[in-house]
Amino acid sequence: MASSRPSSRTPAAWIPLAAIGIALVALPMIGLLLRAPWSRIGEVLGGEAALTALRLSLVVATAASVLSLVTGFPLAWLLARRPFAGKTLVRALVVMPLVMPPVVAGVGLLAAFGRRGVVGSLLDQWFGLQLTFTTGAAVLAAWFVSFPLAVLALEAGLRGLDERLEDAASTLGASRGYVLRRITLPLLAPQIAAAAVLSWARALGEFGATITFAGNLRGRTQTLPLAVFERLQTDPDAAFGLSLLLIAVAFVVIFGLRGRFLR
Amino acid sequence: MSRRALVLALAVTLVAVGCEGSASSDNDRELTVAAAASLTAAFTRIGADFQEGTGVAVVFTFGPSDGLATQIVEGAPVDVFASASPAWMDAIIERGPGVRRRTNFARNRLAVIVPADNPANIYELDDLANEGVQLVLAAQGVPAGDYAREILASAGIADAGLANVVSNEEDVAGVVTKVLTGEADAGIAYVTDVTTEVAGRISVVEIPDDVNVIATYPIAVMADSGRPDIAREFVEFVLGPGQGVLADHGFLPAE
Repeated sequence: MASSRPSSRTPAAWIPLAAIGIALVALPMIGLLLRAPWSRIGEVLGGEAALTALRLSLVVATAASVLSLVTGFPLAWLLARRPFAGKTLVRALVVMPLVMPPVVAGVGLLAAFGRRGVVGSLLDQWFGLQLTFTTGAAVLAAWFVSFPLAVLALEAGLRGLDERLEDAASTLGASRGYVLRRITLPLLAPQIAAAAVLSWARALGEFGATITFAGNLRGRTQTLPLAVFERLQTDPDAAFGLSLLLIAVAFVVIFGLRGRFLR
Repeated sequence: MSRRALVLALAVTLVAVGCEGSASSDNDRELTVAAAASLTAAFTRIGADFQEGTGVAVVFTFGPSDGLATQIVEGAPVDVFASASPAWMDAIIERGPGVRRRTNFARNRLAVIVPADNPANIYELDDLANEGVQLVLAAQGVPAGDYAREILASAGIADAGLANVVSNEEDVAGVVTKVLTGEADAGIAYVTDVTTEVAGRISVVEIPDDVNVIATYPIAVMADSGRPDIAREFVEFVLGPGQGVLADHGFLPAE
């Protein structure tokens, strides 16, 4: 019904404003397409440096996304289902990484997990373990920035879930583990997938916290965004090519899942 | 409807362009200077002195010389560029927009920097090749990074030294940060990076003169500057009263 005459209900002013909005996000990508070094794209993207960075990026983003889900789900469950003191504070804390400038996140991670950090100095003392400059640090940085997206998506999903279905199963004698496995998680599958994709995409693009906390070393902490930045200074063409690769990977994932989990 | 939409879009664009136009027209009181990260402290001071004398506010963008050069080549509106290496000034001449009034205004030496407690026991340049030293350099292409690699090569410890590199920082400020926070055991930076603020937390290990690099800093007015006269005035200021400030910060005079 509404779709038969949508234009009569759309205020005229919205169209140019919407056009500006879409141009804002589309133009940089079009610019990259135009500037990419098409004549030597194979050499740029097939090169050892690009493949190393891509591989590392995929590993880091996937690890961060899994960690965000595993630690995010219990927290989302508590936030959605259980009243507890200080919930408002916890919720505010959880979204902080989203609004924090990434370089601040990096400095914070150094203060906590660096060699002289609150936790880092203990790790060093007790286990002789140093996180900074390791792939683990890159994962930790990506986990930190992608965690809020996972929690927010999962909490929204849990709130939308009809708790009576779980209650009914329990009444019929199902154990808590059985209810979780057979009722809650399957019903929540779309939100879990959305949480996974969003946190993965955020982790994939992470730059500031990574270079500040993990450093920049090829094969160990140099993810694609760091490789782009380094190349921008020595070989701008290659940087444009790598940027395109990064966007293509993210776009394929987001676009491929659009119908199923993201609307 | 579509005509009204078009009119609105035009209006929005015109307002935006209008703002832009009016902003730049009375911007004779403002100058944009892109300068190498190693100049941060000295130029901030020089900029303040210049503003006091002329009433022109200097807006700085500090960063790695190579990154700044790339931004300028890509069209960033910069009036004056001060680079830590002649190579990146050359890049602006080769790839546009070109320069006017190019002069060398300072020189700098490099040094090994270590955290004050010196966890890896670095007492001379060759110690950087010791096994397990966590060494941080500026990335290749960044002047400080290229100079550092030259020094390691001249000292004959290129292989062992580079194998110890745990991070290639985006600019020399990143190197100082990693050493200052104690994350890295050592870094190679400019002697001028050991400012009075960090002097207590960083120790300097001198690099012998025969392997050290003397970095030459050129400055120039960008050919497409909209305020060439003020820009020229700033360059003169750096060459004049600015020299004292640069010396205070440990820079050597240009040859």
